[in-house]
Amino acid sequence: MSEALLQAVQAGIEFGGLRALHGFDLEIRQGDLKGLIGPNGAGKTTAFNILTGVYEPTHGEIRVCGEVVNGRQPHQINHLGLARTFQNIRLFRALSALDNVRVACLSDERPIFSQARIDELRRRTSGRSPLASAMDALNNYVDWWRALLLTPGFQEEERELTRRAEALLEVMGLSHRRNEEARNLPYGEQRRLEIARALGTRPRVLLLDEPAAGMNTREKGDLMVLIRQLRDQFSLGILVIEHDMKLVMGICEDITVLDHGVTIARGAPEAVRQDPKVIEAYLGDSYLAAHGMPVPARSPTTETPAT
Amino acid sequence: MPAGIRGLVPVLIAIVVLAVLQLVLGGAPFFVYLASIVGVNVILAVSLNIVNGMTGQFSIGHAGFMAVGAYTAGKLSLLLKDLAISGLPAAVSDQVQFVGTLLAGGVAAALCGFLVGLPSLRLRGDYLAIVTLGFGEIIRVIVQNLDVFGRALGLSGIPQTSSLFAVWFCVFLVVLVARRIVGSTHGRSLWAIREDEVAAEAMGVNTTGYKVRAFVISSFFAGIAGGLFAHFVPIINPGSFTFVKSIEVVVMVVAGGLGSTTGAIVAAVFLTLLPEVLRTLFLQLGGLDTGASLAQKVDQIRMPVYGMLLVLLMLVRPQGLFGTREIWDVLPRWWPGARKGIT
Repeated sequence: MSEALLQAVQAGIEFGGLRALHGFDLEIRQGDLKGLIGPNGAGKTTAFNILTGVYEPTHGEIRVCGEVVNGRQPHQINHLGLARTFQNIRLFRALSALDNVRVACLSDERPIFSQARIDELRRRTSGRSPLASAMDALNNYVDWWRALLLTPGFQEEERELTRRAEALLEVMGLSHRRNEEARNLPYGEQRRLEIARALGTRPRVLLLDEPAAGMNTREKGDLMVLIRQLRDQFSLGILVIEHDMKLVMGICEDITVLDHGVTIARGAPEAVRQDPKVIEAYLGDSYLAAHGMPVPARSPTTETPAT
Repeated sequence: MPAGIRGLVPVLIAIVVLAVLQLVLGGAPFFVYLASIVGVNVILAVSLNIVNGMTGQFSIGHAGFMAVGAYTAGKLSLLLKDLAISGLPAAVSDQVQFVGTLLAGGVAAALCGFLVGLPSLRLRGDYLAIVTLGFGEIIRVIVQNLDVFGRALGLSGIPQTSSLFAVWFCVFLVVLVARRIVGSTHGRSLWAIREDEVAAEAMGVNTTGYKVRAFVISSFFAGIAGGLFAHFVPIINPGSFTFVKSIEVVVMVVAGGLGSTTGAIVAAVFLTLLPEVLRTLFLQLGGLDTGASLAQKVDQIRMPVYGMLLVLLMLVRPQGLFGTREIWDVLPRWWPGARKGIT
C-alpha cells in the first residue's frame, strides 16, 4: 500500500468558543477518490482550510507527505504537493486563462541552491531554519535579477512554463480560451480553469471544493468522468466536497460525513447512504419516523434544519 | 549576437539616444530643469505603480522614500564636495561621486522599504495605507528636527551634478525594470496577489515575500528619484516631501490606470506639465502687460483647473487613462505596432 500523502489526525479548530471542527481524521493516498459531505455549516470548508494551512488547527496534526505542517503558510503546504479549488470561484479575474495557470506553474529550477536541499534542511529543523530561509532569499534575489536581465536561461524557463500551462489548458479543454480574461469565461469553464490552475502546482493531492456547484446535469456527468480521468492521468489522490449526492455517491470510493464539526459517518457510499445518522442530519427526524427508521439519540440543542 | 547580452541591448540604445539628446538639448537650463522635474515624477509614478498598481497594495508614503533618498544622497554629496578621486578629471570624479551617492540614496530608501514592508505588508488595504502614510510623516518630522539635515531650512549647496542624461537614464531603467517584471513569472505573481491574495497563496505564491520585494524595488527607485532631485534643485527641505507630494504621485498612478506602466508615464508627464502649460496659457490670454496682479490671479486659478481636469478624467474613465492595459493595447488597430507589446 502506498504511503499516505495527506493525513489529518484528530484535527480540530475552535474559533473563540465555537468548535468548528473536532476530532477530524482523514487519510488520502495516491489513487484515492474520497468525498467529504455534510449539511450547510457542517465544517467541510473549515476542514479544507485547515488542511491547506489557511487556518492553523488548534488540536491535532496535519501531515502532508509525512511532514507535519501545522502552522506552515499555505504556499509552503502547496509546495509540498497539496492544491485546492475554491467553493466560490477565486480565479485571477483580470488575468488571461493562460496566465491564471502560469501563476501556479512555478518553476522547480532554482538558480543557486536546489529546492530539494532547502526542503531537506527545513525538514530536519521542522520548518524553522534561518539558513534555509537565507538560501531561499538568495535564490529569489538571483531569480529576480535573471528576470530583469532577461537571461537566456530565464527565457527558456518561461517558455517551459508556458508549454506546461498550455498542456494543462488542453487537458481541461480550455485551449480555445487561452488569451481570454478569466472573468469572461462561462461558469463551467471557470470551474475547469480553477482545476487547471490547481494542477499547475504539480500537486500529489487535489482538494476540490464543490466542483459541481451551479452546473447542470450534463456538465456534472462530464465532470465526474473528468475527475476520474485526472486522478489516473496525474496519479493524484483526490478529496471532493460536494452537495450533490448523486455525484459524490457516483465517484467517491469512501465518504466522510460531517455534521456540526463532528464526523458522524465514514465508509463506502452505500453504507453511508443507509446510515441513520446521516439521513437524520440531512433529512431530519420526521423523515426517519415517517419511514419507520430508528431515530438516533442526540442532545436536544443540536437542532438540524431539514434540507 | 550572443543571447547572453540580448537583454542589455535596450540599455545600450538608451545610452546612445540620451547622450545625443544631452548634447542637443543640454544647454537650455529651463528646459533641462523642467525635463528633470518631469523625469523625477515619472520615476516616482512608475515605481509606485509597481506596488499600488501591479501588486494592489495601497501605499501613500512615497514622498517619504523619496525624502530618504534625497537626504542621503544630498548629505553624502555635501560631505564629499571638496574631495576628488585622484587620477580622474574633476568632472568625471564629480559624476562618479554623483552615481555613488544616488545608489546610496536608493539603497537607503530600499532598506526603509524593507523595514516598513516586512511587518506592515501582512496588513491589508486601508491599514497598509495608514502605515505608509505614517512612515512618510515620520521621515519628514525626523528630518525637520535634525541639525545634520538642516532642520526646516533643508540642505543647500548640494553640487548640481545632475543632468538630462542622468535623470532620463534613470527613467529608462525604472521603466525597463517595471516592464520586465510584468513580463516575468514574478510579475504574474504580483498580479495574482492583486487579483486574489488567498488564491495566490493557495497556488504556492509566497504573498508576503512578493509584497515585500515589490515594496523594496519601488522604494529603491523612489530613493533614486529623490537623489536626482537633490542634485538639480538649489535647495531641498522637508516641505518638498510632504503628504501632498505622496498624494500627487498616487494621483498620477490612478489617473494613468492602476497597473499600467505607460499610463503612469503619460499621467506623470501630463500632470507635471499641466500647471506649467496653464500658467503660460493664462499669461498669454491675459497679456503680459496687464501687470503682476492678473498673473497672480491666473496662478490661483490654475490649480482648480488642474483639479477639475482630474475630476473629469475620473468621471469619464474611472479605471484611469489606460486601465490595467498599456498604451499599445488601447491604440487603434490601424496604428503600427498596436497590440504587439514590446517586452
